[in-house]
Amino acid sequence: MIEAVADRLLYFVVAVLLGIGLYMTVASPNLVKKVIGVNLMQTAVFLLFVTLAFVEGGSAPVVSQEAVAGRHASPLPHVIVLTAIVVGVAVTALALVLIIRLYVGFESLREDVIQEVRRND
Amino acid sequence: MSVSLVEVSLAAFVILAAIGTAIFRDVMAAIVVFAAYSLGMAVLYTLMLAPDVAMTEAAIGAGVTTILLIVTIAKTNRSSAEELIEVIHWPAVVVAGTFTAVVAWTVFEFPTIGSDEAIAWSNPSVTQHYLTYTYVETGVTNAVTAVLAAYRGFDTFGEAVVVFAVGVAVLVVLDREVFT
Repeated sequence: MIEAVADRLLYFVVAVLLGIGLYMTVASPNLVKKVIGVNLMQTAVFLLFVTLAFVEGGSAPVVSQEAVAGRHASPLPHVIVLTAIVVGVAVTALALVLIIRLYVGFESLREDVIQEVRRND
Repeated sequence: MSVSLVEVSLAAFVILAAIGTAIFRDVMAAIVVFAAYSLGMAVLYTLMLAPDVAMTEAAIGAGVTTILLIVTIAKTNRSSAEELIEVIHWPAVVVAGTFTAVVAWTVFEFPTIGSDEAIAWSNPSVTQHYLTYTYVETGVTNAVTAVLAAYRGFDTFGEAVVVFAVGVAVLVVLDREVFT
């Protein structure tokens, strides 16, 4: 059992980080912290992809004509994660800008306060 | 595979940093801890033989995202209160804990990390094709760069379009008066 866990340690780290990110998005009243929670879940998924591509005793996927023979980590998940990181920052930027707009209108970053103000209007 | 001490301590570090991000009430503190978390993740990616991903995460995850978050705090307010720690929302803890347990339960079905049956290698002829022919076909030694810019060039172009669209959307949403 302990060995089965140790052999898959980073997968469990991914599971825990996904849980923490989910908690932040669901429970935090502060909108900025919700966005941080989404980012946290995102990096956990990146760690999952990168771990899936890892091979024991391999090297980074840098190959030249001489070094093709050795074991390498798979480059394909790495590429999709690179794309996802950039798109993730774009999504974060858009979310934060919408939060700034909300703050201009409601003068609060807290979800409960914003709902309160809307109910009173 | 035997787990190294570095790996265990990094795993503990990122989990502690993530918990800190979740429970600090001061948003500025959460942002700083989150930057440290991103850096820890970048080191973990390096350990998992993904230096390209690690560099991008360190530059964009720990760099640009932190700047965006701090600019947002500067434009709005920091909501610093007397309490250091956020009030813990127990129903959400139960939901997140159940979610974590279900995900962790599926992990036992995965092959062990780094074994020959690693999931990205479930179709070895495809992955090996890129490793074998990257240098011959593109003249680039880094297979990640070759796939990103050559084999999946149109995909990367689409990504650039997404970033451009978001840039336009940010300017539209912010309007002019927010800048002044």
